[in-house]
Amino acid sequence: MADQTLDAKGLNCPLPILRAKKALKDMATGQTLEIIATDPGSIPDFEAFCRTTGNQMLESKQDGNLYKFLIKRTA
Amino acid sequence: MADNALYILLCSGEREKIQMAAMMAAVAAVSERPVQVFVSMNAMLAFDKNAPLATRYHGGAFAKLLHDQKAPDPMVLFQQGKDLGDLKMWACSMALDIQGWEMSHLDETLFDGPLGLTKFLSDAESGQFVTL
Repeated sequence: MADQTLDAKGLNCPLPILRAKKALKDMATGQTLEIIATDPGSIPDFEAFCRTTGNQMLESKQDGNLYKFLIKRTA
Repeated sequence: MADNALYILLCSGEREKIQMAAMMAAVAAVSERPVQVFVSMNAMLAFDKNAPLATRYHGGAFAKLLHDQKAPDPMVLFQQGKDLGDLKMWACSMALDIQGWEMSHLDETLFDGPLGLTKFLSDAESGQFVTL
């Protein structure tokens, strides 16, 4: 169960990333953020985002047209 | 400035190019990359804080699509990049002079001040440089 969920459905690049960054900024280290997006570029975008920010991608999956991520704030 | 810093020289007044500059600046900033944007020439006109949104940008077919599909305004993306990361924006001192504008003509929450091209290019020696 994530500490917080971000509904990014219907948002185009780069808004899901910007919203995720804003959410993570207000969370404590170790907390987790679930993100649900529909942008088809989401998977590589969020992988790159985690790589460059140092946050940890715990889960990344596609469910039909939905892309779901679980990110742990570590940075 | 870090070696991975991104420097954007924004000269075009086309919505497409300003949109891409704003997207690149915001994404790089929230990805922990320092970003500096130098605004000059026709791009400066789009940052006139008194300009109505309808006439702020010009452009081609994609500019119309961005408007019709209600893509986030570039100014909003630049602001988010500043709020969430290390993004600085500079107004070209030459363009300000040619236009007869003071800094107060621009959105002061976006811009960090006027700057000359020599200083911007000098700072950009160690980073990645993009022109739009």
